[in-house]
Amino acid sequence: MLAQQLLNGVALGFHYVLIALGLTMVYGVLRLLHFAHGVIYMIGAFAAMIGILYLQLPFAVALLFAMVVSGIVGMSIERFAYRPLRGTHPITTLISGVGISIFLENVFQVMFTSDSRAFPETGITTSIITLTESITITNTKLYIIIAGVVCLGLLYGFLKLTKLGIAIQAAAQDIRAASLMGINVNRVVAVTFMLGSALAAVAGVLVAINFNSISPTMGALPGLKAFCVVVLGGLGSIRGTIVGGLLLGVVESLGDGFMTDLVIDKDAIAFVILILILLIRPSGLFGKHIEKV
Amino acid sequence: MNLMDDMLNPYYVDIVVFLIIYLLLGLGLNLITGYAGQVSLGHAAFYGIGAYSSAILSVTYGMNPWASMGSAVVITFVISAILGLPSLRVREDFLAITTLGLGLIAQSVFKNAEITGGAYGIDSIPVPSLFGLELKNVGYLLLVVVVLLAGIFVMQKMTKSRIGRAWMTIREDEMVAQAMGINTTYYKVLVFAIGGAYAGAAGALFAHKASYISAESFGFTISVTVLSMVVLGGLGSIRGTLFGVSVLYLLPELFRLFKLDFMEMKNLDVYKMMVYGLLMVIVMRYRPKGLFGKTGFKKKKRYSAGKEAAIKGGDQVA
Repeated sequence: MLAQQLLNGVALGFHYVLIALGLTMVYGVLRLLHFAHGVIYMIGAFAAMIGILYLQLPFAVALLFAMVVSGIVGMSIERFAYRPLRGTHPITTLISGVGISIFLENVFQVMFTSDSRAFPETGITTSIITLTESITITNTKLYIIIAGVVCLGLLYGFLKLTKLGIAIQAAAQDIRAASLMGINVNRVVAVTFMLGSALAAVAGVLVAINFNSISPTMGALPGLKAFCVVVLGGLGSIRGTIVGGLLLGVVESLGDGFMTDLVIDKDAIAFVILILILLIRPSGLFGKHIEKV
Repeated sequence: MNLMDDMLNPYYVDIVVFLIIYLLLGLGLNLITGYAGQVSLGHAAFYGIGAYSSAILSVTYGMNPWASMGSAVVITFVISAILGLPSLRVREDFLAITTLGLGLIAQSVFKNAEITGGAYGIDSIPVPSLFGLELKNVGYLLLVVVVLLAGIFVMQKMTKSRIGRAWMTIREDEMVAQAMGINTTYYKVLVFAIGGAYAGAAGALFAHKASYISAESFGFTISVTVLSMVVLGGLGSIRGTLFGVSVLYLLPELFRLFKLDFMEMKNLDVYKMMVYGLLMVIVMRYRPKGLFGKTGFKKKKRYSAGKEAAIKGGDQVA
């Protein structure tokens, strides 16, 4: 039972990690809380659905299509809602982000109605893999874990080995120094948004398959929980985000299994953690030490 | 009273009553966010606490609706002060996320706790009566108008007093406020308490008007809606809040009234939120201080000034 819940928690955790990576990278480079990230996750899932249903793409191509669409949407949000406000008070950008996320969520509700629908046929049939006698995992959950590990590996390689990746790291350390070294800061920011959005799209698509349900509001909660993950792990720290995401997934999963008569939903656990962390240790688990955020 | 009731279409009266409830919500939020600069994305929590307190006291404990409404305001005042405590540790955008979290936790408690009726909510909340007359329709309208006028009056007095000046100093620069001997801890908690009490009053009035409440009515959407209304009107301006809330609240009602053919009525709420969202982006970009606002969010030296300049001047550097 415990091991089973832990395994489920890890799958859930990788899903949070995939979403939160984008947030943490954006925060690292711009010191900006990217509120519209959850919407991008939702758009990724819808893009994959459109790809499969209307463009008759095979699943793997549809996933790539979703990543590209989300990446473009992420860059556009940065271009229209955030870039004109750079250098202003952080709240101004936050409200702008809230606005754009509400706008997009409702645009999708007009286009696809607010009801949730089943994810189209992907050729992946849900099956249960038995690991030991008492521990099983559905293959869709396994795919989330695999995708999480693969994406983390690719991201690591990108950040360490490519010129652009190193530029992102430089910008995250000190954006002014980076721009003085001849790094095109705007391009770095755009790439950061694109990468983060593509990762969120992967999470969105895999979760849509796992629950076989997709709706315009599906991104709201995961998007907010991603903030909890980022704060828990330490702002701007990728390592922290991975640990934070897995931790949140496990905690939620255990809460689901063992604390059934709680006065709050399991979805609210994340926010309790968020508030506790901000009050007790605002720098998070792996963040640079900060007195107060 | 009965004659008056016949003269005025209850439908219009209801619209005005709910508009005034939103105005109270907006005033409370403007106090917290506009005057004291503490951004709250969890305003619906205070609204809900007010509504549930009054409903529980009057339905479960059989209290007189007047007493329950009064107690609700006091209860919300106290709880809001507690919920405002994170503002001492966390600021600006993180405070927004924290209050958002508090709002979601509060809604979750409303939905699951036994005392709030769980997912079923609370129904048959009694109507207050005056001299044996039940305050329905126009009577209730008069009640909310009186509360609103009192609220505006108190807010005007407050913001022009020592307290208001302390809040505005904190908003402009907390360090300076501290250096000038302002007890920032006290004033920050106070603004959450008072702003929360406004929302609590709005919630109590809502509960006794609607006679049925459930957790659905106190979600994130309300918080965001009120914030967008206040932001459009202008932060730190009472007139702005009155204007922003009225326009944004009445506009969709007008569409509902005239039943325009070119769009589906059932989607009206969705269109409404679309416009609110877009307005927030546009206002932030072109007029961050809102229509009537005297002050926007000031650029602060939170990060090194050079870093901000570099971010802003990215085009040239590139």
